[in-house]
Amino acid sequence: MKFRVFVALVTGAVLVGLAAPGTAMAAESVHVSLTEFNNSGARGTAVLTALDNGDLRVSIRSSRLVPDAPHAQHLHGSVEGMDFHCPVAAADTDGDGYISTEEGVPDYGDIFVSLTTAGDISRASGLAVDRMPVADQSGTLTYDRTIPAAELPAGTVAHLKDLHVVQHGIDANGNGKYDLSALGESTIAAAAGLAGIPQEATHPALCGMVAGASAGSVPVGGVATGDGSTRTDPGRLVTTLPAAMLILLLATLLITRRRKFVLPR
Amino acid sequence: MIRGLVAVVLLFTVAACANSGAPSSATPSFATPSFTTPSSATPSSVAAPSASGALTRGVLLPASPPTRLTIPALDVSVPVTDLGLAPDGTMEVPGDARTVGWFTGAPTPGSLGPAILAGHVDYGGSAGTFARLTDLDQGDPIRVTRTDGLVATFAVTKVARFPKARFPTGEVYGPIDHAGLRLITCGGAFDRDAGHYVDNVVVFATLQSGE
Repeated sequence: MKFRVFVALVTGAVLVGLAAPGTAMAAESVHVSLTEFNNSGARGTAVLTALDNGDLRVSIRSSRLVPDAPHAQHLHGSVEGMDFHCPVAAADTDGDGYISTEEGVPDYGDIFVSLTTAGDISRASGLAVDRMPVADQSGTLTYDRTIPAAELPAGTVAHLKDLHVVQHGIDANGNGKYDLSALGESTIAAAAGLAGIPQEATHPALCGMVAGASAGSVPVGGVATGDGSTRTDPGRLVTTLPAAMLILLLATLLITRRRKFVLPR
Repeated sequence: MIRGLVAVVLLFTVAACANSGAPSSATPSFATPSFTTPSSATPSSVAAPSASGALTRGVLLPASPPTRLTIPALDVSVPVTDLGLAPDGTMEVPGDARTVGWFTGAPTPGSLGPAILAGHVDYGGSAGTFARLTDLDQGDPIRVTRTDGLVATFAVTKVARFPKARFPTGEVYGPIDHAGLRLITCGGAFDRDAGHYVDNVVVFATLQSGE
């Protein structure tokens, strides 16, 4: 066993030495299930695809969100191996019945990437509602953006499965819009120096949990893993030659034994 | 004398048939009638989310590219190279009979999702590393050593053969809720006009442990 580990390590080291740096990172799609949060009634899916060139393609489809309203959305978490997860009810530390963005952060981590529709994607754009996707009149949100590798924080692609998609914006009082009369002013926006933003707009509505993964790029058709070269005539000769020799042996035996039968007569 | 000759001819015929039908080291045993799709034991319905609320199941390792493939049941232990996509959109294949390739367009072996390894059934006059892939049975271990030093041990769940013309792209490359492995090679009849095998053989496996 020890020897095998040693061999494996040596092989690994040799291969690492041969491989060009930065190659062999898997291009894969991480499939995320967006689950309801703060009784938002919303649902959705997200697919994060690491492309061959290091870019990240983000596709989000959500429904039953607050219609005609912008929904701030981010990748939360870190690439430092933290065990982040979607918050449970216990995260509501102030006991008001809602898990605010601040209350969720210890569970799902700080903003890692702001999933804006254009421009900057850093944490600084976390509340840039003018660049966040807007749900249509039926509450359906569609988001597709490919973020160039150069704009992504280091380690994003390697740690896709450790990050959490969070979409914000709920309608607590059921009047079809974000308003101050429901839950008051957004504490996190106020802390960032933005006055007059309703708490409803920044409360989380959906949190993503990794549900599966697939190939990031799907090859066309089957795989050409064989040239039929062992199915040619030389191949057949190899297998039939021993048989032919066996037959010759049997034939010889047959003939010699016949003679034996003949002799006594 | 004539009777002896008939016996010899008869013997030869029988021997030749038996020979072409029997598995040789060079030809996979698809010709044997016993080959159907053994044990179509696809992982049954998705397990209920665990107490922690996880939507995935089983052991999951962080991403790390593979370096070596070991299949004890087939006496296979070979280095693994990288495979990308060819200009026509098909998967690249290894340049020799022995080497097995990891498709870099899919997850690394041991991490969540389907990891894809492809190898030749035959190439350049030699039997390929995956020549006897259909001999694998459900539960047989497959080990993949990775650059991070971990060895991911998978267990075979299904061995299947598909016409290339109707390759089940979704089943092989599509999303799964566990760390899976697919070994792909060729099989079935060899189409001399087209210069390729008609079918692909795919072994499906699920991660058991990583250490």
